[in-house]
Amino acid sequence: MFKKIDLRNKTALVTGAGKGLGKACAIALAEAGAKVIIVSRTLSDLTKVEKLIKKTRGSCLKFECDITDIDKFKSILKKIKRLDILVNNAGNNRPEHFTKVKKENMEYLVELNMKATFNVAQICSQKMVELKTRKKIGGSIINMSSQLGRVGAPIRSVYNMTKFGVEGLTRGMAIELGKYNIRVNSMCPTFVETPMVKTFFKNKKFKQKVLENIPLGRVAQENDVSTAVAFLAADSSNSITGTSFMVDGGWTAK
Amino acid sequence: MVKFLKEINLKNKIAVITGATKGIGRSTAIAMHQVGASIIAIGRDTKDLNSLKKKLKNRITCIECDVNDYEKISKIIKALKRIDILVNNAGTNLPEPFLKVKRSSLEILLNVNTKAAFNISKLCTDKMLKLNNRKKIGGSIIHTSSMFGLVAGPNRTVYSMTKFGLEGLTKGMAVDLAKFNIRVNSVCPTFVATPRAKKYLANKKFNSYALSNIPLGRIATESDVATAITYLGSEAASMITGTNIIIDGGWTAK
Repeated sequence: MFKKIDLRNKTALVTGAGKGLGKACAIALAEAGAKVIIVSRTLSDLTKVEKLIKKTRGSCLKFECDITDIDKFKSILKKIKRLDILVNNAGNNRPEHFTKVKKENMEYLVELNMKATFNVAQICSQKMVELKTRKKIGGSIINMSSQLGRVGAPIRSVYNMTKFGVEGLTRGMAIELGKYNIRVNSMCPTFVETPMVKTFFKNKKFKQKVLENIPLGRVAQENDVSTAVAFLAADSSNSITGTSFMVDGGWTAK
Repeated sequence: MVKFLKEINLKNKIAVITGATKGIGRSTAIAMHQVGASIIAIGRDTKDLNSLKKKLKNRITCIECDVNDYEKISKIIKALKRIDILVNNAGTNLPEPFLKVKRSSLEILLNVNTKAAFNISKLCTDKMLKLNNRKKIGGSIIHTSSMFGLVAGPNRTVYSMTKFGLEGLTKGMAVDLAKFNIRVNSVCPTFVATPRAKKYLANKKFNSYALSNIPLGRIATESDVATAITYLGSEAASMITGTNIIIDGGWTAK
C-alpha cells in the first residue's frame, strides 16, 4: 500500500519561515493539510507567507521571533496547544576562507546554526512529549542540514562545522526520542534556488563550479526540498528516523 | 502558482519490478499501481504472479523468470516496448557465521544480489535510453538494498558484502546516468515484516536482538518500504539521486 502524504489534524512549527526553504516547507505542510505555526525575525515576511498559506485554504499562526532569543521562543510554545511536527530550519551562512574567518562570524553561526537549533529542538520536543497519546500518533522533527553537513567545500569551514553538528544532533535525538515515537531526520539539500543562493550565484564562476559538481546538472528547486520535508513529516515515512535525507542531485555520491 | 508539495504520481510510467511475487517487491507493485503506474512484474513463482495479476486487474504484465537466467531475462527486457522505472528488488539471504559460510551460499548470493542486480540494471538502462526524450521525461532506478548495506550484523558477512556492493553500484550508476536524467537510488530497510523476515523473527532470541537495536522499537512494514520506493520512482524526487533512503527505525543512527 502507498501511504499518501497526509498531514490533516497535525500541527507543525517552522522556524525561519519568512523566506526560502522555510517558507516553502511551511506552505507544503499546509498543502498537505497541517495547521502551520510560522516563526521568523521579520514580521513583513511572515505576513506574506500567511497570505500564501491562506490561499491554499490552510490555517496558520505567525510569531515574530529571533530564535537566538530563547526565552521569547519558549513563550511562543506556551501559547500553542499542541505540536506534532517541527521543521527546525532557521540558519545562516557567512562564507569566508578558513584563514580569514572573523571571530564574530564564527560565533554568530555557532549561536544560530547550533545553539539556537538545539534549543528550539529541545523546547519543541518537551512540548511534543506532553501529549499523552504521543506514542500512538507519533511525531516528526526535521532538522535543516545541508549536503555540506556530509562533505566539505571551499570557504565553508564554519558552515561545515555547524551542519555536521546538526547531523550529530539528529542521530542523538533520534535514539533518545524513539521511545516516544518521535522521529528525527535531517534534510540535506544541495544548492537550492533560494534568495540566499541567488545572491551567491551572481558570481558566474561560482555558479558554474556548483553545476559541475551536481551530476544532474541543475540546482534544486524549493519544492524539491519542501516535498521531501513533507514526506518526512508524514506517516508516509513511519519507519524512517536518525537518517540524512539527501536532495543533492548526486553531489555527495561522487 | 507553484505547488510546494509535489504530487507522487506515476501516471503513464512503466515500471519493471523484479522479485515481485512476495514481500517488498509485491507491495511495491501494488503501491506503484495505486498511483498510476503500469507494472511489469518479474518473478519465479507462477502462482504468486497470478495472484498479483488478479489483485491489480489492469496495467499489469506478469513474466515468469529467474533473474539468474541471463539469456532469458535479456530476451524479456529487450522485447519490452519501454521502461521508465526499474525496481531492482530480487535478492536473497543465507545467514551463516563467517567461518562456516559454504562456497555454494557465497555463489548463490553473489549471483542473485550482485551479478543479476548489475545485469538487470544494465539491460533496463539500455532500454530506458532507447526513448528519444528520456532526458526530458527522466527515469528512475531503485535498488532494494538493506541497512546491512551500511553496517554489519551477525551471520551476514556475505549479505553485507553484496549489499555494500549495491550501495556502490547505486552511486556509480547515479554519476554515469545523471546526464540522461536517470536517477539511481537505493532503499535500506531494517527487518521488514516480509515472509522471509518473519521466519527469522519467529526465533525469540533473534526477535529481541532485532527490536533492541531499533530505537523506534518496531520493525518496518512492507508499506513503509513500498512508499519510499514509489516516492523515489516519481518526479516528486527529481533532485534525489546517488543516495539511499534508510528505513531502519534508527538502527544505523547508533
